[in-house]
Amino acid sequence: MNKKLITLLALLASTALMPLMAQGIMGGHVTGNIQMDGQISHRDTTIGASEVPEKLLMNARADILYTNGDFSAGLRFEAYQHPMLGFNSQYKGQGLANYFVSYKTQDFGITAGYYYEQFGNGMVLRAYEDRYLGLDNALLGFNVYYRPWDGVTFKGLVGKQRVYWNIGEGLVRGLDAEVSLNDVVKRWSEATTRVTLGGSFVSKYEEDESIASTIPGYKLNLPKNVGAGAVRMDLAHGGFGLQAEYAMKGQDPNIMNDYIYKNGNALWVSASYSQKGLSANLQAKRVDNMGYKSVRSQTGEMLYINYIPAINKEQTYAFLTMYPYATQSTGEMGLQGDFMYKFKKETLLGGKYGTDLHINSSIITALDTTYLGGRGTNGYESSYFGTGELYYGDLTVEIAKKLSNNVKFAFTYGYVVFNPIVEGHEGDLHHNNVLVGDVTWKLNKHNVLRFEAEWMGSDSQYDKEVDDKRCGDWIMGLVEYNFAKSWFVSASDQYCYNDGVGNYYNLSVGYNKGAMRLQVGYGKQREGLLCIGGVCRQVPASNGLTFSLTHSF
Amino acid sequence: MKKLFKIFAITLVGSLLFGACDKIEENEYVVFGGAAGTWYDGDGVADHSQRAFLEKYTGVRCTNCPKADDAIATAQAAYNGKLIAVAIHDSSVFTTPFVDSPDLRTDDGDAWSKALGVFSAGSYPAAIVSRTPATTGWDLFTPTSGIESRVDAIVNQPASIAIAVESKLEEGAVTIGVDLEFLQDVDGELTLTLLLMEDGIVATQVQPDGTRQTDYTHNHVLRDVITDLWGLDVEADGQTGTARFVQVKYDRYDEDWDLTKCHVVAFVSDKATKRVLNVAECEVQ
Repeated sequence: MNKKLITLLALLASTALMPLMAQGIMGGHVTGNIQMDGQISHRDTTIGASEVPEKLLMNARADILYTNGDFSAGLRFEAYQHPMLGFNSQYKGQGLANYFVSYKTQDFGITAGYYYEQFGNGMVLRAYEDRYLGLDNALLGFNVYYRPWDGVTFKGLVGKQRVYWNIGEGLVRGLDAEVSLNDVVKRWSEATTRVTLGGSFVSKYEEDESIASTIPGYKLNLPKNVGAGAVRMDLAHGGFGLQAEYAMKGQDPNIMNDYIYKNGNALWVSASYSQKGLSANLQAKRVDNMGYKSVRSQTGEMLYINYIPAINKEQTYAFLTMYPYATQSTGEMGLQGDFMYKFKKETLLGGKYGTDLHINSSIITALDTTYLGGRGTNGYESSYFGTGELYYGDLTVEIAKKLSNNVKFAFTYGYVVFNPIVEGHEGDLHHNNVLVGDVTWKLNKHNVLRFEAEWMGSDSQYDKEVDDKRCGDWIMGLVEYNFAKSWFVSASDQYCYNDGVGNYYNLSVGYNKGAMRLQVGYGKQREGLLCIGGVCRQVPASNGLTFSLTHSF
Repeated sequence: MKKLFKIFAITLVGSLLFGACDKIEENEYVVFGGAAGTWYDGDGVADHSQRAFLEKYTGVRCTNCPKADDAIATAQAAYNGKLIAVAIHDSSVFTTPFVDSPDLRTDDGDAWSKALGVFSAGSYPAAIVSRTPATTGWDLFTPTSGIESRVDAIVNQPASIAIAVESKLEEGAVTIGVDLEFLQDVDGELTLTLLLMEDGIVATQVQPDGTRQTDYTHNHVLRDVITDLWGLDVEADGQTGTARFVQVKYDRYDEDWDLTKCHVVAFVSDKATKRVLNVAECEVQ
């Protein structure tokens, strides 16, 4: 291209942009973040790691957001060249995965393009993204909110969902209304009891398709429009709180429920109390046939319109996360209790610095159901308060105590009972007892040492046919050293010493500076499940190098 | 309280707009899904011709439809068996039958019309050859002209799959046998669709000059889609040389139809794109 042409194009471009600049549209600011995760894994028959033909796998993304007053626009470029182990191979490729323009004020907002949204707890609609699960249910279309009066918010949306690099065929429409009664009713404005009510309606449209029934020559008469609705309340009075949401779904034969026509429903209730040094929470949940996707035949975690909140504690220690619970949207019943108490300083149990006690327990079962028929019938009946087989249970007791100005100690006892049926295969219940000791020693302002020791005793035994490498009794040690403001290095090893197989060591080193973080690790990864909020992803075994670079600007 | 009432009213209206859902009665959970059969290894197909399948969406109240009938008949004669056409009367305003004249509409034809965008386009007659896509949507056109270029684009290509169909009426049922032979490797899932069409139906038809001709002869009129609307799955590995055979029994025909004037059309198509790969027809013997 010759210089004259370049000059002409630059002139034209600047002329075209001048009105925009005059309106201040070009005077906004740009923010963003970049993340690159990579992996090199070798074949390792001892842990079941396969050879990776590409040698290097990488997931990368860059989010760019432009903001100027009430206007914003953003885009996200993603590259999976090729997807890291455990991420769906349909992500393979690269391109613009998300883009939007948005205008938002206090009272009104509209977004065109890709957007995320949630109504209430998400039991009828939650479009969200979790990069670590490889999940992105973003909607492509329009999303609007409007606040006509103080304390009143209406939301409306229409769109189709992202599925890897494509857009699902199902069309999603939704409306949500939320009212804070204390803001709307004048005489309640000063009341100490605060009440918020909400309601949501969602409908999906999907074209007919041919799905065979169990009767030869006959097919299912599928509903094209499937609706779901929910009502919710949030009540607070002093330290007491009560939240509840009830959702219902119309006939929705789909691959998750094996194409039955039973209506779905779900109830979630949470009661809590808190005061200084004490908090207690009790949650209950009942879910019956509430898997709701915009494409009825879609398997896996993509294209969910809704989300069923998890009701068990999200554990952090390695052996307590070994058997995570995946929410069973087709049917489950659960109860969780959580209690935290701080023993005051200078008391018998509090000692010089006080002691924190945290007890959590949950139990989740199947529903009590009566079989009516298979595909093309109402499927089953369920007793509302009856329970079926045990899916999952846990008890965690944590005691955290500061021993001196520089040393903190935490002790955790955990008990987990796990039914392998939630992972899709029959088997005996696994009963695991876990002990964890965690010491943090602050050597000085910039140097911190942390030690962690874990033990897990389990009644599960390794069976070659099932090849569940989590079975058996385990020990683990971890040392982590943070030094020179920005660096950290850690070494850990998990070893199965009885009734199982596996020795998984890991070394990692990291560097943080400002908004940048770089981490490089080498070691073995045990196959298993990674679950966040009850949504899980299979993580295959690997042996090799991993690295991660993130930067925000 | 007035505010609460307004909020309630807005929510109610919104829920009616957004909360649409279909309710299916328990006795309608399953419906007839079309005739089906078991696939076996076949003996291959002698005739490897590539043929084109023309769907003409038409109506008895459509003034230009007789012109399209003439153009299609001329083209069929010219292509000497390589162009198979079916006339589909959907549920548009052009298809409402006249008093004392047969109703040529079918639910199946209506469903195809809506799926291919003919109904929403609202322009009749409309046609599509072998369900060919356009840049956006389908390559729909007015079949008073432009047939040849579209058919040439199909029949001048070597066939990827050869297809043959035969049928026999015995003991009240039509037994239909379809042979497929893969002449090239074919990726993706395929479906086989069978339909029944009838020639020589006399019904009133509006003519280009606006008059009604009460003794107009309608040919190749779609009577029924024998299989599921979008066909039954082809069980084959898609490799060159593979030959498959399926036999289907069909007894859900109407007593008013004259089977001696009926033809069975069989076409194989790509399940994902719906594009027709090849087609064949035979008389009901």
